[in-house]
Amino acid sequence: MAEKILSAKTNTDIVAGEIIVTPVDLVFAHDGTMPLAIQQMETLGTRDVFDPNKVMGICDHASPSPSEKISNVHALMREFARKNKIHFFENGDGICHQIVVEKFAAPWKIIIGGDSHTCTHGALGAFSTGMGSTDVGAIMAYGRTWLKAPESFKVKVIGELKERVYSKDVILHIIGEITAEGATYMSMEFLGDTVDRMSIESRMTMCNMAIEAGGKTGLCIADEKVKSFLESYGRGNEYKALSPDRDATYKEEITIDASGLEPMIAHSHRVDKVASVAEFEGMEIDQVCIGSCTNGRMEDLRIAAEILKGKEVTKDTRLVIYPASRSILIQAIREGIIETFLRSGASIGVPGCGFCIGRTVALGDGEVALSTQNRNFKGRMGNDKSEIYLCSPATAAASAITGKITDPRSTKG
Amino acid sequence: MIKGQVIRVFPKDTNTDEIIAGKYKYDELDTKKLASHAFESIDPTFYEDAKKIKNPIIVADSNFGCGSSREQAPLVIKACHVPCIIAESFARIFYRNGFNIGLPLIECRAIGSKVRRGDELEVDFDRGIIRNITKSEEYKFQPIPKFMQDLVDAGGLMPYLNTKGGFSEQE
Repeated sequence: MAEKILSAKTNTDIVAGEIIVTPVDLVFAHDGTMPLAIQQMETLGTRDVFDPNKVMGICDHASPSPSEKISNVHALMREFARKNKIHFFENGDGICHQIVVEKFAAPWKIIIGGDSHTCTHGALGAFSTGMGSTDVGAIMAYGRTWLKAPESFKVKVIGELKERVYSKDVILHIIGEITAEGATYMSMEFLGDTVDRMSIESRMTMCNMAIEAGGKTGLCIADEKVKSFLESYGRGNEYKALSPDRDATYKEEITIDASGLEPMIAHSHRVDKVASVAEFEGMEIDQVCIGSCTNGRMEDLRIAAEILKGKEVTKDTRLVIYPASRSILIQAIREGIIETFLRSGASIGVPGCGFCIGRTVALGDGEVALSTQNRNFKGRMGNDKSEIYLCSPATAAASAITGKITDPRSTKG
Repeated sequence: MIKGQVIRVFPKDTNTDEIIAGKYKYDELDTKKLASHAFESIDPTFYEDAKKIKNPIIVADSNFGCGSSREQAPLVIKACHVPCIIAESFARIFYRNGFNIGLPLIECRAIGSKVRRGDELEVDFDRGIIRNITKSEEYKFQPIPKFMQDLVDAGGLMPYLNTKGGFSEQE
């Protein structure tokens, strides 16, 4: 599917492995990558962007700003955004990927973000990939970029998921199987009846983590679910079906029977060190985090709320919840989910990246966190003497109640 | 041609948080200042050691630079005067970022198990050969694709675009 999108965009028959120059439909960056992109763009002797409608900036990583230095960086971004009249999102609007999926992403588009988890938008059938600040600076100026058309890795997922087993458990299992470099340079294409049945939100969780296996992008087919999703944001006219050709070629293929999968966990400090929750059951944790571009959407919050309703977070553990965007926070308030969280003892953060990169919530020495985010590298949450375990929102919620890693199926009823 | 000494042989999957921790990158736009924190969590003496070596070459196992898109990762390495990195393989965003900022990256099979810290190396880009002077050995590598070599020769993507006046239609 990656070759199809790139071929259509460049009007040429592209073969995997070719280095091509392609137009870009959206380029975006955040407070961790945009300041450097602006500096780099200045070396081109221009501060004008190629098309303000196709450029987006956002303060989401260290947001709201916790320090003078970061406030100055945010100010630099605001000035650039004002002068160039680009789309700009502020503290509290949400995580870049959630904003992009709500407002810009659509099938067949080419989306480049100054963030490695840009692969998320493949859930809508967009070719989307993360790049560095120099690339973003060059695209902001010229509207084009160079890339090597990737080979494809077919990941076929079949079978009915068990109760309280989710797409997060599936993707953790896949990364455990193929390792952190198993899909390096490749487009990971998620197919099969399990993926077909998944909501767009669940597919986003899968595509979001393609980079954790080294993937250049994650891609799902664009089907009726994508159409309904776009319609719900008033963008139904941007829908165009996408599916792999019958004779599509893949460099690698794997089939996962998801019907036997248990709730999974990735233990520190590697995303591909994956085990079933059962193997870690009972391990004490200091902090539980629900949110991030991987699992901070309505579906995730509803799952967590169902488990936390009428329950209390144990005194020995903190629970922090960051909805992925402003619109999600509003919806969660409407549904009473935020009240459920607050009554359970959770603290609610400003929509944004929050805990995931340790800028606004950092861990202490020797502390252990259980989080729904995508990455558990040493020091990721601001302290290299802490540990991070990754799991689904259900496992996170169930574990917050007990203060120990807990199988979400054990807290039913 | 680059002649230098192997400063470190980093293991498989050395990630961008290890190269430069996220907690520093938002505060500081000056790469030279950021460089003092390079590899801090896994190798606290790296920065000081790099100062003592002329052309400190980094060697690594596979998937070097995996993780985030932060360009600060290759930038701090370059700011430590590292002339090139030789690894079994690189994570793709790091790979792009390296060339875009004019830091050549070489993929060479099993290099992590062939060379040791302190070995003197000579890298011949044109012929695709690494000479290990200490061990009197030679290792072949795939020469860098022409487009990427053009980027390195220009000093990075921005100088390349300034010379060419933008992207040409097809490379």
